[in-house]
Amino acid sequence: MKFGIFYEISVPRPWENDIEHTVYHRCLEQVRLADEMGFHSVWAVEHHFLEEYSHCSAPELFLTACAMQTKQIRVGHGIVVCVPQFNHPIRAAERAAVLDILSDGRLEFGTGRSATWTELGGMDANPDETKETWDEYTRTIPQMWTNERYGYKGRAFRMPTRAVLPKPYQKPHPPMWVAVSSPGTEIDAAERGMGSLGLTFGGFAEQEEKVKRYRSTIRNCEPAGAFVNERVATVNFLYCHPDNETGIKTGSRLTGSFGYLAAQLLPVREVHPTRSYPNPGLLAATRQQAAQNPGEGVSAPEGVCIGNPDRLVEEIKKWESCGVDQINFLLNALETIPQEEVLESLRLFGEEVMPHFRDDQPATTSQPRETAAAAAGGD
Amino acid sequence: MPINGNADPGQLTQYAPSMASLDTEALTLPDVKVLQVIYEIDDSVMAELLPPALHPTIPPTMHVIGLRADDGPLGAFTLAIVRVGCRAAVRPRGLPTRAVCTAGDAASALEQRWGFPITIGEPVLRERYDRQSIEVNDGNVAVLSAQLVDPVPIGNGDLLYTAGMHIATVEREGETKPWLVQVDPEFEVSRADRGQAQIDAFDSVFWDAPDLRPVYPIVASYTTANITLPRIRYICDPLQPAISGTVAL
Repeated sequence: MKFGIFYEISVPRPWENDIEHTVYHRCLEQVRLADEMGFHSVWAVEHHFLEEYSHCSAPELFLTACAMQTKQIRVGHGIVVCVPQFNHPIRAAERAAVLDILSDGRLEFGTGRSATWTELGGMDANPDETKETWDEYTRTIPQMWTNERYGYKGRAFRMPTRAVLPKPYQKPHPPMWVAVSSPGTEIDAAERGMGSLGLTFGGFAEQEEKVKRYRSTIRNCEPAGAFVNERVATVNFLYCHPDNETGIKTGSRLTGSFGYLAAQLLPVREVHPTRSYPNPGLLAATRQQAAQNPGEGVSAPEGVCIGNPDRLVEEIKKWESCGVDQINFLLNALETIPQEEVLESLRLFGEEVMPHFRDDQPATTSQPRETAAAAAGGD
Repeated sequence: MPINGNADPGQLTQYAPSMASLDTEALTLPDVKVLQVIYEIDDSVMAELLPPALHPTIPPTMHVIGLRADDGPLGAFTLAIVRVGCRAAVRPRGLPTRAVCTAGDAASALEQRWGFPITIGEPVLRERYDRQSIEVNDGNVAVLSAQLVDPVPIGNGDLLYTAGMHIATVEREGETKPWLVQVDPEFEVSRADRGQAQIDAFDSVFWDAPDLRPVYPIVASYTTANITLPRIRYICDPLQPAISGTVAL
């Protein structure tokens, strides 16, 4: 089991008194501590226009700062929006390669397509086409990384042959992931030989089913990249405190605030009916967490990592038994928890919870395609 | 935390009905034609359109809804509704500002049993091959003309309709005051189209939302559905955040 931290970078109103500057630098302080504590990775989302919920529109810059201030922790794009109106695929490939170089080969490359009208409408993107454009990106970006020159003529974009530069530091390229929020997307990840980067807060039974489907499908995958990245990560909240009741109470403020914010956004499916978004996705899932009044929750939902170290060890072992390889933790939302308490929670987790879990995988799963396929039971 | 509405509920009740009872039986209306046109609205006044119980969506939205029942337990009727898209705590909702219904049993039932802010009028829902439209005139003046243009079929399960929060004056526990009445109909869709949203006429003063201004089309849908109007299960104090002001009946 590996552990990561996961940033939406939530900024409360009023947006004055340098609050965004303060929040960003608090996040960087948390990342430095997470690096010291031995966390595997820091992930940052790409979101646009999501008031208070996420002010993380340029994750590659935030992650570059993370890389410059840390030694070991890997930096995860979680995710790059693979829609032309958001990111041209050439620019996505270039920026990722630079981040991989500057971080000395610590990049994890997540891909996705956005799930809100707030964002897709704001960028004038067509929700009907995002699945197709995402698919093209996942197959072309690795080609840009691994071929000296590359040309392409497709549906989402075309380019005459050019050298897309620089090339990533990791060879053949950084591990690739797919954001999994809607049920069934884990199959998309598996079919392409990519990691499943879970972004919803589901329970154990749901996750176990997803992992089973993912593992069985990936055996026969056609990798989008040069190798198979068979890993399952899920997202969770983290608030660890010596006193279980205090941990749950404070952590519930975090989960409630996050879910409440998420619910104010407009999921594609609510206003723009399309087969491309058959499920409400992330937002609906987070609403389950928000069912409690923010600030008044007293019980911890199944699998949520809030409470004392003993409770967290118990919950994480259950996640481990579901087949999850990595848990990425959200540490704060709306600055609900004071920075010193967030740091204390991270320290306590690092000292008293992490030692219970062996980290027996290499830091990266970059490996030749044949080796990975064989390891996964394929031909 | 998210922005709350700041409208005085008393200002939102010009067309709000008085509901003598909240003990409403469910009722199914068969084969209703439903046109829904969704627009983003001017955000500078979004909080002024909603009571403190509700949050504007991000971005703020309005729903123009036209319904036509050619038969059924309430007889034939046509209804046009304008709603402001919102959230009651974490729940997707729409707040009707005014509704115009053809005269008959439907108008009184919708008003008295489910709290629709009904005015009697002559809304017209038209179905053409290249478009569907809902139109309302006030005298000779068009106060609403909204269309779905270039329909294409979509899956019956691709659509979501959000519940309404209907402001109505209710006598409860010896006190008469405005409440938000949650009306969450069930839609059993048998045919669905989607197309471009287009609003050609909208008189915000007529629709009792003087500052409401549609600015950016999202999408329009047109369906045939069996609609079950529900028993009233929840009401909400318009002055309190819905998370604390909601009452189960």
